[in-house]
Amino acid sequence: MSLLQPLLMYITLAVAVGYLVRKFFLPKSLFSTKKAKSGTKGCGHDQCGCS
Amino acid sequence: MSKQINVALIGNPNTGKTSVFNQLTGLKQKVGNYPGITVEKKEGVCKLDRGVKAHILDLPGTYSLNTTSLDESVAVEILLNKKDKNHPDVAVVVCDVENLKRNLLLFTQIKDLRIPTILVINMADRMSRSGISLDIPLLEEKLDTKIALVSTRNATGIDRLKELIIGYQTLSANPNIDPSVIAPDYFKKLEETFPEQERYKLWLVITQDVNFMPIEKQLIKDRSSFATKSKSELKRLQQKETILRYQFINGLLKETYRVDRNAAKGFRAGLDKVFTHKIFGYLIFFLILLAIFQAIYGWSKYPQGIIEDFFAMASEWVKTTLPPGVFTELLAEGILSGIGGIVVFVPQIAFLFLFIALLEETGYMSRVVFLMDKLMRPFGLSGKSVVPLISGTACAIPAVMATRTIENWKERLITILVTPFTTCSARLPVYLIIVALVIPEGRFLGLSYQALTLMLLYLLGFGAAIVSAMLLNKVLKIKSRSFFVIEMPGYKAPLLKNVAYTVWEKTKSFVVGAGKIILAIAIILWFLGSNGFSDDFENAENIVRKRIATNGLSEFNALAMADSLAVYKKALKDSVQKKVYRIGDTAISDSLKLRTNELTRQATNQEIASYRLENSYMGHLGKVIAPVVRPLGYDWKIGIAVLTSFAAREVFVGTLATIYSVGSDEENTDTITQRMGAEIDPITKKPVFNLASGISLLLFYAFAMQCMSTLAVVKRETNSWKWPALQLVFMSVFAYLVALAAYQLLS
Repeated sequence: MSLLQPLLMYITLAVAVGYLVRKFFLPKSLFSTKKAKSGTKGCGHDQCGCS
Repeated sequence: MSKQINVALIGNPNTGKTSVFNQLTGLKQKVGNYPGITVEKKEGVCKLDRGVKAHILDLPGTYSLNTTSLDESVAVEILLNKKDKNHPDVAVVVCDVENLKRNLLLFTQIKDLRIPTILVINMADRMSRSGISLDIPLLEEKLDTKIALVSTRNATGIDRLKELIIGYQTLSANPNIDPSVIAPDYFKKLEETFPEQERYKLWLVITQDVNFMPIEKQLIKDRSSFATKSKSELKRLQQKETILRYQFINGLLKETYRVDRNAAKGFRAGLDKVFTHKIFGYLIFFLILLAIFQAIYGWSKYPQGIIEDFFAMASEWVKTTLPPGVFTELLAEGILSGIGGIVVFVPQIAFLFLFIALLEETGYMSRVVFLMDKLMRPFGLSGKSVVPLISGTACAIPAVMATRTIENWKERLITILVTPFTTCSARLPVYLIIVALVIPEGRFLGLSYQALTLMLLYLLGFGAAIVSAMLLNKVLKIKSRSFFVIEMPGYKAPLLKNVAYTVWEKTKSFVVGAGKIILAIAIILWFLGSNGFSDDFENAENIVRKRIATNGLSEFNALAMADSLAVYKKALKDSVQKKVYRIGDTAISDSLKLRTNELTRQATNQEIASYRLENSYMGHLGKVIAPVVRPLGYDWKIGIAVLTSFAAREVFVGTLATIYSVGSDEENTDTITQRMGAEIDPITKKPVFNLASGISLLLFYAFAMQCMSTLAVVKRETNSWKWPALQLVFMSVFAYLVALAAYQLLS
């Protein structure tokens, strides 16, 4: 039980560092898929907007 | 497999294309009552009927197919290039019923490309008010097309439009006009040289200013047998073509379009006269700005108080409810403090966007753009630069993208480079917290000093943008000439749905976009502030207790404690005198002893927390930065906040919230603003946030380029690292020097 708190803390820290590295230091092309690149598609109401 | 129809929505700026797009697809792209909202194509899909889907493409507004700017060329490329995957099966040309004559120019051009074309006459709800009547069947006959009379405001006519899209194959693809009459010999030769190409398409490729479709242009150049005309001759022919089209449009509108002049114009013309007046226009704009900033302060107090209390209570609840340990501390002191520090500004940001949305929706913003054109010209900008500069009050990123509407490269580059000076929403939390700390609460002519300071900061950002533009205009050796045309939309009562949606979207993107970065940085800062490598950090409690036992509390804490005790003693004596308490001298003495012990314990804990923070990883990092920021009047904690906010300005507040949370004792339930206000500089023995350091900070953030995302967008828009690098160096050095001068003068 005493290990749980430090473990959770270090996991949270790693996620935070990872997020910032990904956001500011790694090229976006590493993460974007072809579909995401192609435009601003999305879903709307009434069966519209979803391809 | 279901059938899919490619539909291109095209039209003049501010005709409501995006509203039609939203109604067709059910999506919620941003709309506004001023031109230039859409600068990139947007896509959506709509299920029309059983098995039939439409792929809808919302193209940036363009006045004609004779493009002059980057955003307009997006539309023309798609229409001309049949190999483009987005080339439409059917074009839907959206027109504004009040500006039909001008809007139909584009319609006739698209029709002449032999693309099946539907005409949407939008804003039908304004017809009766403006005294307009239309003979739709006759107009359909004359234009050889089908028409949908639509009101996106009242959601009428969309079903008819869907039906027309389904039946697009029955539409005529015959051209409206034969452009060869403007130069019969030239067009004849054109047809003989390129028999495989469509005549009007060829004509457009030859006459475009924007350098697109290089392969086809090259083809024309390669056919040496065909002598293209000089640029000036081509321009002259383009003008003749435009006149020919307007003759055709005038003829058909004479028979189909009636306006009862008595019913129209009076109100709008009257308002326009006042809003664009060379003196009253500016005065009204200034007064509107004053009212906005006053309201931002006045209305936000109560929700802000509730949010501050909520986060203070949540932090307390986490500490007392969860099992003790490092993760609980991280939640209470790192995450909740960091996020609370930024969420507290949501009311003010929401109010700012509410006012901007109202100004856009009513149509007033276009008048501001018109008004500003005169003001902008001497500084190397145009009225079109105002749209990005005003958009920049939300965020510089879409604002830099909005410069695509500026056809002149020099004006566009200057606008891109100066737009980050505009006060964006990320600067707002920084301003608000510093202004609250260093500017007194008094009033001048009924307006609070704090609101006036905030407005001055906005004007300062705008002024810095204009002065920088003037300098750049002199420095940049790019020859160019431009003209300014702007759509003046009608005045509208704001549609609550649009206003609410804009406020919600902008506020959400601020909280979510900035929130993720702030949360991540808050977690890392908490770790750096709660851990250290030196013996001083490990033994902080023993060292501080020994020091207090030998030398007593620090001077500041001793004085604060004495003040607090004096107040307590006086209150106690008053209560006894007024017979609220019936206690003797011994009880008073005991009570004072208890209070002294309690205050000593609190002050000791505070000193331990401060000592630990100073010797943590963050403290060591801060001491490295301190020599650089000290001349500006900042301590090492502010230095850390300035450094972390390089990624995004709003991180400044979250960072300070985390630092002051880590650096205070666990029982402290003060709000972040209270803690910052109580912070004393150990060197000067004065409050860290005083008038000199506060003004210095405000000026630093007014001018500094603290936003990595903006730099990335500038790189993309200018296609070079040279300009963002120049922007970063210039703005940072300038901000440092101005902040330095301000602190040195005021301290």
